[in-house]
Amino acid sequence: MKDIVRQKIGINVDVMDLLNEQIAKEAHSSSVYLAMASWCDHNGFSYSAEFFYKQSAEEREHMLKIFKFINENGGTAYSPQVSNISHEYNSLQDIFETALDQEIQISKSINNIVTKCRKVQDYGSESFLQWFIQEQMEEENQFRRILEMFDLMGTDGLALKFIDERIKHD
Amino acid sequence: MNLLYKSYFFASYQCDHSRSFYIDFGHKQIKLSFCQLLAIRQKLQAIDISSHFDMDLNSGGIEILSLCNREHLFVFDTLQVIDLKQLIKATFGILELNSLVAH
Repeated sequence: MKDIVRQKIGINVDVMDLLNEQIAKEAHSSSVYLAMASWCDHNGFSYSAEFFYKQSAEEREHMLKIFKFINENGGTAYSPQVSNISHEYNSLQDIFETALDQEIQISKSINNIVTKCRKVQDYGSESFLQWFIQEQMEEENQFRRILEMFDLMGTDGLALKFIDERIKHD
Repeated sequence: MNLLYKSYFFASYQCDHSRSFYIDFGHKQIKLSFCQLLAIRQKLQAIDISSHFDMDLNSGGIEILSLCNREHLFVFDTLQVIDLKQLIKATFGILELNSLVAH
């Protein structure tokens, strides 16, 4: 019997499922960052707002990167539904902590897919995901550095304004 | 055609000559590309079978599935949905096994 599946698709089907789940997670992240940008804009943190608009666009780029990878390799990428986006935050610090937690979850998810790739010997997908591993480390570090500013400067009005202005350099 | 899996109601086949797949639904046999087979798999995975046992979520206990870009329309009851889920799962299992043997 011919191996038609291998002729049609260059990646493992189970890995494709996980990549589709990752698409949904990246889309969710993009929307969460947009909600954070909106909160920052409304509360007078214009540099942070700009930062989160940029983050939102980056997450969408990540989503598209995976989306195209699946389709280019014979799989089927599914356009995700996005729901459960909170627009309520306690403070600017709360926003950055939530953002770091979100990035950590994304990193864990990418690592799980890499583990699966190794298990099923899908080295093409594993190679593709190496870029994401590096990217996630950079993203996490970026948020850690910002949260360190709250530890150093505090959370009073002037400190928050100062932190917001520092964020434009990150 | 090579039989891939036969469940209680349905059966799946691979045709090497046309490089395509077939599902025999009993009253009707449909030809599928690999992409269309993936689409069926995705649609079936999205069905929450527990909703069939909840009068508020799915009072009729049926699923309406359009397949192959709306070329075919099927109405399945709970048992058929469970059986079709099993068929597709087993079919992909056999196809994976075939890939391992082939390489």
